[in-house]
Amino acid sequence: MSLIALLGATEIGLIFALVALGVLISFRILNFPDLTADGSFPLGGAVAATLIAGGHDPWMATLAGTAAGALAGLTTAWLNVRLNILQLLASILVMIALYSINLRIMGAPNMPLIGATTVFSPFIALSPDSQYVIQPMVLAVIVVIAKLALDAFFASQSGLAMRATGANPRMARSQGIATDRMVLIGMAISNALIALAGALYVQTQGGADISMGIGTIVVGLAAVIIGETLIPGRTIMIATLAAVLGALVYRLFIALALNADFIGLQAQDLNLITALLVGFALVLPSLKRKLAAKRSAASKGSTAHDAR
Amino acid sequence: MMRAKGLFKTFNPGTPIENPALRGASLDIPQGQFVTVIGSNGAGKSTFLNAISGDLIVDQGSIEIAGRDVTRLSAWQRAGLVARVFQDPMAGTCEGLTIEENLAIAWQRGNKRGLKGSLNASLRSQFRDKLATLNLGLENRLTDHMGLLSGGQRQAVSLLMASLKPSQILLLDEHTAALDPKTAAFVLELTDQIVRENQLTAMMVTHSMRQALDHGDRTVMLHQGRVVLDVAGEERAKMDVPDLLAMFERTRGEALADDALLLG
Ligand SMILES: Nc1ncnc2c1ncn2[C@@H]1O[C@H](COP(=O)(O)OP(=O)(O)O)[C@@H](O)[C@H]1O
Ligand SMILES: [Mg+2]
Repeated sequence: MSLIALLGATEIGLIFALVALGVLISFRILNFPDLTADGSFPLGGAVAATLIAGGHDPWMATLAGTAAGALAGLTTAWLNVRLNILQLLASILVMIALYSINLRIMGAPNMPLIGATTVFSPFIALSPDSQYVIQPMVLAVIVVIAKLALDAFFASQSGLAMRATGANPRMARSQGIATDRMVLIGMAISNALIALAGALYVQTQGGADISMGIGTIVVGLAAVIIGETLIPGRTIMIATLAAVLGALVYRLFIALALNADFIGLQAQDLNLITALLVGFALVLPSLKRKLAAKRSAASKGSTAHDAR
Repeated sequence: MMRAKGLFKTFNPGTPIENPALRGASLDIPQGQFVTVIGSNGAGKSTFLNAISGDLIVDQGSIEIAGRDVTRLSAWQRAGLVARVFQDPMAGTCEGLTIEENLAIAWQRGNKRGLKGSLNASLRSQFRDKLATLNLGLENRLTDHMGLLSGGQRQAVSLLMASLKPSQILLLDEHTAALDPKTAAFVLELTDQIVRENQLTAMMVTHSMRQALDHGDRTVMLHQGRVVLDVAGEERAKMDVPDLLAMFERTRGEALADDALLLG
């Protein structure tokens, strides 16, 4: 694989690290199976691209895209906690609605950003030949900031309250935690991160496309699961690190698979590979358990039983 | 001080499985009193406690805690007044969080939570001291996950968590029922000790009449969603389990359904 392809994979990996951090919050910390991502990722992209194309400051545009994602997460959470719509269903409703909204925002199925000033432009201007290195570097800084900010938040009183909300809502309420509010805030943060990823994605890809969100959630989940497998551990600092690394490893793996011509894979096979990978990772824990059970049964013989 | 007046709660009203769990339950507990609650399965004991804690909102009646009308407040809004320990050892703590994180959550019970760090050195040392009083060696396991603890250890930590912050009433719902007899005895003793030391107002549901008479200052019996028996002081001190049963039969004019647990 060429250096440029490697850097390209790293770049997308870093963008999806933000998605993975968002998915970590919804799926793992809040215990909220949330598919909004497929809508909030392109939402962040659509808002940012439209504003940038309109000549607005790219940082402001990125921030606006992020805020729009927060609103999307808030909507999903609100449908669940206030209207009692099932979590999965609430998120699908918002995801579908966002498809129309994103089209409205962009006014067309795609919005090119060729030659526009992006958040990367000032850095690339410093050394015009090394765009391939500079974009991943800027993204790495953003990802590290996001990771450290989440670590700090989840170590705070409010962050701990949010973790309790996902882990044991009844206990959380009995400790005075407004669990509904925690879900609303957490889902807003989660989708803000995912939309931030979308906003940055369009700026690295030279434009937004209405279909850019397809499979976002699966990739995010894949990253989280791969991360958990690579570095298991239950502290928040490890979990966020694992999500980031998982996203990087996932994209590198995909790049390698696509680059290996002898396998004959093409870019359009990406979603299939991802689905297979996630499916495999999902059954892995239970497979491991079964294997372990078999092994311990074999070693203990027939008389022993699990006395716990 | 806790005052529950004429509480009614019907589950699934207007359906074939309509179930009037509370039918005018009233109870007045003065400051510092430790009340034990008995009653057969389905008598409404848990429902009564859930109504006081705000886990469910009653259909009718009023609840006052420390002079404050809390009838319409949800559980999290009452948490500053109410501390609880659940029957299921898994229910009162977060197994995915560490012991110190669980304690840190309880440390802020009923307080506004901000962006300040939830743990620090002085808090940890306080937690260590408190855990040491349990004599379970948990003071050296602050960063262990709660899920690693046995049921008894978890209930002991739950009790500690419930007493970290002052409360107007402590609710214990068969919190020893899921434990083996020896562990149950330990947790029960710990309960007595914590209630006494902190001079807590407390309500403890138990499935054993023996326990109900041996612990606390007053015993009430719930039956079909109402308080049907209420003994305290000298009368209670002289009482034994058969007396309690006889008294119930007298007041109700019927024999109590056979319930082996109740006689334990
Ligand atoms: N959430 C609920 N939904 C429907 N019925 C319930 C619910 N909780 C309790 N009940 C019913 O209410 C009655 C009282 O239950 P409960 O208060 O748990 O009794 P106890 O704790 O005294 O054994 C029982 O008949 C029980 O089946
Ligand atoms: Mg009960």
